[in-house]
Amino acid sequence: MPYTIVNHALEYFGLEQGGIWSFIGAVSVWALPITGFVSLVGLVSIWLERKISAHIQCRVGPMEVGPHGLLQTLADGIKLLGKEDLVPKNADRPLFALAPMLVFASTFVSFACLPFSEHAIIADLNIGIFFIAAVGSLEVIGVVMAGWASNNKWSLFGAIRAATQVVSYEIPLSLTLLAGILCAGSMSLIDVTQAQGGWIWSWFIFRNPFMWIMFLIYFISSLAECQRAPFDLPEAESELVSGFHTEYSGMRFAIFFLAEYGKMYIVTALGVVLFFGGWYTGIKPIDEIGGIAGNLIGAGVMVTKSFLLVCVQMWIRWTLPRIRLDQMMALCLKFLLPISLGGLMLVAIWQGLMPDFKLFGIAMIAAMVFAFMQMRRIYRNVTNASKTRIVLPTMKV
Amino acid sequence: MSALQTYISKITKVSKSIIVGMGMTWRYLVSPKEIVTIQYGSKKYAPQQNYIPARHRGVHYLETEKCIQCNICANACPVDCIEMEGTRDGDLDGGWQGDKVQISRFVIDLNKCIFCNLCCEPCPKECIHMGQEFDLAAYTRSNGVKNLLTDRPWTPADADAEAARRDDMKRMAEEKKAAKAAAAAAKKAAAAKKAAAEPKADDKGAAPEKAAPEPKAVDPDADAGQTTDEDKKDDES
Repeated sequence: MPYTIVNHALEYFGLEQGGIWSFIGAVSVWALPITGFVSLVGLVSIWLERKISAHIQCRVGPMEVGPHGLLQTLADGIKLLGKEDLVPKNADRPLFALAPMLVFASTFVSFACLPFSEHAIIADLNIGIFFIAAVGSLEVIGVVMAGWASNNKWSLFGAIRAATQVVSYEIPLSLTLLAGILCAGSMSLIDVTQAQGGWIWSWFIFRNPFMWIMFLIYFISSLAECQRAPFDLPEAESELVSGFHTEYSGMRFAIFFLAEYGKMYIVTALGVVLFFGGWYTGIKPIDEIGGIAGNLIGAGVMVTKSFLLVCVQMWIRWTLPRIRLDQMMALCLKFLLPISLGGLMLVAIWQGLMPDFKLFGIAMIAAMVFAFMQMRRIYRNVTNASKTRIVLPTMKV
Repeated sequence: MSALQTYISKITKVSKSIIVGMGMTWRYLVSPKEIVTIQYGSKKYAPQQNYIPARHRGVHYLETEKCIQCNICANACPVDCIEMEGTRDGDLDGGWQGDKVQISRFVIDLNKCIFCNLCCEPCPKECIHMGQEFDLAAYTRSNGVKNLLTDRPWTPADADAEAARRDDMKRMAEEKKAAKAAAAAAKKAAAAKKAAAEPKADDKGAAPEKAAPEPKAVDPDADAGQTTDEDKKDDES
């Protein structure tokens, strides 16, 4: 087991590892920074979300609090802290109070085996990916609990939709995770990432042509997993007010919100680890630095990559409309499931026949660079729509 | 095979439409054509007034020289937010003097006011107006009560705004009138043409070779008549 910082500390103080001190050390040392990190992720992603949505819609977004509204989320958080903690009269009080905690806990615990860099990981479980998938789907219990305890039919509708959605999208998600595990031969997130060390073409996404399909399916199902648009049926504002958290106010609502954004980060970070080389930059000399500097660079790279994917999630949210319930189920069962099954088989065959075939990755990167240079022309060919530009009604000046 | 083909064509169709949509939003994300937001209280742009439409109903202002203290506006007010005091033909120090009228107090409680414009319509001297000011935030309720004699006196800028507003209204009324006249004329013309065309059609009903082009000639006029009718309805509503 690779040394983690807690183990280093325990060694420094001469305490035994794996005993009660390990537990106390882990809880006291790690609970606080994770809480801080989750809050920070929430702050930054909510700000990003508001900015991206604003810029897509020709607005400017929050501008008043802090430079370009950076502290707006903090102000909102303080406002939510000061709000009255309302519980509906007919609500099931204990369940109502337990639900946000359970939802947040499932997000919070997943951070325990999410790596930031080679040594910056709290617990390197040998079943890390399985752990994240299992704990992440616990969230649905909290959601159903919230919907049931609110004693509100719209909340219950939202909760039932969430249960349907999360449970069905779990299958393609797990199948795509299996593809990454197949390539690495391990379930530990550290091992999976270390299998992608070296130059950029050793990332799993460039390993074979099917990994791209697997990544797309992973991304779509992860959107459904964290109930983001276009899969935001559980909290469809126009139909169910806001679904399972309609009755929640103040800090409980803030916790739901924080859990949602934390979940987005977890899902994208898992995607980065499985497909985009985790904390590796893809340039061999930089990745071989090691030590504290190397770990810091790795953590920065990991967080940057994850946030890029989070931005893509937001971009999708503000582009695509919400899909219907039957469309959602059809997409999962008719398209994602068979394609991911086939893809998994093809990945396994490729992996069995030529596991160290690097030429494909190099060719693929060359093709991507070429495609990026020709982006405009390709886009025009694909769409034939580059000249139709929406003209907005202008304000009278 | 055809089932597989439809399956694949469905996937390509969906991905194509997603790519189109994402490209559209991407272009707006990186280079928006214009920003529609005007920052509140921004000094960078032209004065705020220019962004407010001419018929906006903001805080009232009063031409104190014209007011005759007839109380009609206060009576018309549905929420009773106008209060005034003063004397006619009397002598009151510190008051504002109009036609032998001295007003000592003219207060609008903006906490109550619903900005309905009903006070401005019946005014015989046309001296109370809805202004452009929209910034009503105050720390206390008493700050929401405006004394029109002192808090918001008549200024040259207000006079300009009022003149512009009147011009605008006049122009709009004229446009409406012209549109109405045009619509009426078009309708008349259409009716005349129809009346002229109908007997012809009746006449040529016996000769089917030449009857075909006739309706085509009539159709656009009939359409025009319909659209003007719709316009007229819009105007009325």
